[in-house]
Amino acid sequence: MRILAFDTAGNGCSACVWQDGTVLAQARLGMERGQAEALVPLLSSLLEQAGLDWPQLDRLAVTVGPGSFTGVRVGLATARALALATGLPVSGVTTLDLFATAARASLPAPQGVLLALIDARRDDLYCQAFDAATLSPLTGPDSLRPEEIRPLLTRLGQPAAACGDARPLVETLLEDGTLGGWLGETLADPVVLAGIASTRPREDGVPSPLYIRPPDAALPANGGQLRP
Amino acid sequence: MLILGIETSCDETAAAVVRADAPKGGRVVSEAILSQLDEHRPYGGVVPEIAARSHLDHIDALVAQAMEQAGIGFADLDALAVTAGPGLIGGVIVGVMTAKAIAAVHRKPLVAVNHLEGHALTPRLSDDVPFPYLLLLVSGGHCQILAVEDVGRYRRLGTTIDDAAGEAFDKVAKMLGLGYPGGPALQKAAERGDPRRFDLPRPMKGRPGCDFSFSGLKTSVRQTVEKMPPGPLSEQDKADLAAGFQAALVDSVRDRVKKAIILFKELYPHGTALVTAGGVAANVPLRASLKALAAQADLDFVAPPLKWCTDNAAMIAWAGAEHLRRGAVSSLDFKPRPRWPLDPDAPKSTGAGAVKA
Repeated sequence: MRILAFDTAGNGCSACVWQDGTVLAQARLGMERGQAEALVPLLSSLLEQAGLDWPQLDRLAVTVGPGSFTGVRVGLATARALALATGLPVSGVTTLDLFATAARASLPAPQGVLLALIDARRDDLYCQAFDAATLSPLTGPDSLRPEEIRPLLTRLGQPAAACGDARPLVETLLEDGTLGGWLGETLADPVVLAGIASTRPREDGVPSPLYIRPPDAALPANGGQLRP
Repeated sequence: MLILGIETSCDETAAAVVRADAPKGGRVVSEAILSQLDEHRPYGGVVPEIAARSHLDHIDALVAQAMEQAGIGFADLDALAVTAGPGLIGGVIVGVMTAKAIAAVHRKPLVAVNHLEGHALTPRLSDDVPFPYLLLLVSGGHCQILAVEDVGRYRRLGTTIDDAAGEAFDKVAKMLGLGYPGGPALQKAAERGDPRRFDLPRPMKGRPGCDFSFSGLKTSVRQTVEKMPPGPLSEQDKADLAAGFQAALVDSVRDRVKKAIILFKELYPHGTALVTAGGVAANVPLRASLKALAAQADLDFVAPPLKWCTDNAAMIAWAGAEHLRRGAVSSLDFKPRPRWPLDPDAPKSTGAGAVKA
């Protein structure tokens, strides 16, 4: 199976062309912004490096979030339009799944809780707990404040390690041993993304974004009327 | 030449296929558009993040619909054109990525179109208006007077220093509880009102230059309401306030456009038309006033059909076609732009359309 996988949901613009476990071409660029400029030329050039054309692909894979709202939309708008233009199926993978899968691969004997933490670029984090041995989710994807992590781990009652891109936000939890360690890199790995996508059943529809947080908009009191 | 146009810069998600003929003229082959009015109504204005989310949810299906209605596949296209700004950047990015992806797969040229240029060139699609002409662009996000000299050549004669006209309509309609979008709701209420009951200012009237300002007028309506006896406003109060506001706004715009016409005729003696675009161009009293001004100045008055006055993708495809005829194509790494003045020589605008990132 040949997969073009890409991620722009976080602090990078990364993509790879993957064929049955072999990486034909890949690029991992760290960037806070500029994904809208970089992504499409990058995909075209990776395909070219891999010596493939669009019709020779079997599948697209993309991260659906959570992450930067704009970054999520850069990836998904591209994936959905590529699907329309090529007829290829698209697998959507959450950034939490992606980081947890990459982190687990770095563990010789995975056990306990694996906590995926993504910087929500406010005071909070996007978070999901996984069983490190099986990668089954122990909680749903959610947003929480750093101080809510300790109670969550107490509730789960097992030693935990963390992964994702939000390390600076939980440094104190690493220092005091609440989190047993930080696993994997803080830049999403498109090769892991392709690997996850290859195990998924073929989706008929296109993936939807996982924002977690609702739009930041307050309803005006009385509809904004001066004299209700 | 067949061009797919994509527009996602404000609260309309739209795709259209336009056939452009050489050397001029064209027709709209298909149009698919989805308005987000219902999603923004509770807020009384466009919420950028809600808009961006909605664009992502719908743009691919609208593109598919426009292509299907046109009865063509992507391989049949000669090019794509997409709004690359100015506008609400979250939405612009969704359209830009959609267009880049399709262009990359099918190896088609892509034109990054300035949304304002889409509006500015529409009269050439609808009415074959020759250059140069005078354009009043009045919408919820923009309020400008431009001399349209040629494709890619615009001279800004005036712009708003604060709110756009449509924004003022929306905000006043919201204060009075008239509904959303504010333009049509306020115009309807004004029909039953007395524009003379409240003395409201005519911003900028009589001042030199052609700039607009609507923020003070909006504040005046607020202060007028605050001075009224306590309790809810009666329907008549609302109608009179609406009528007073609309008359003041139209009067102010009329004064500005009148000045702009004098300037335009000096600069471009062979110019033939006053053209309007933007959603506020649908306002009946404003339209009547502009028509009269044009007649007095011996200019043709051109108002494209309403569906091409408000945001749409046909105008983007058309502007793309006008650029393609001149050989202009964008590379696929172009950057979506929240700000993108049509006239780079004009002083930096501080009002509507300037800082909406």
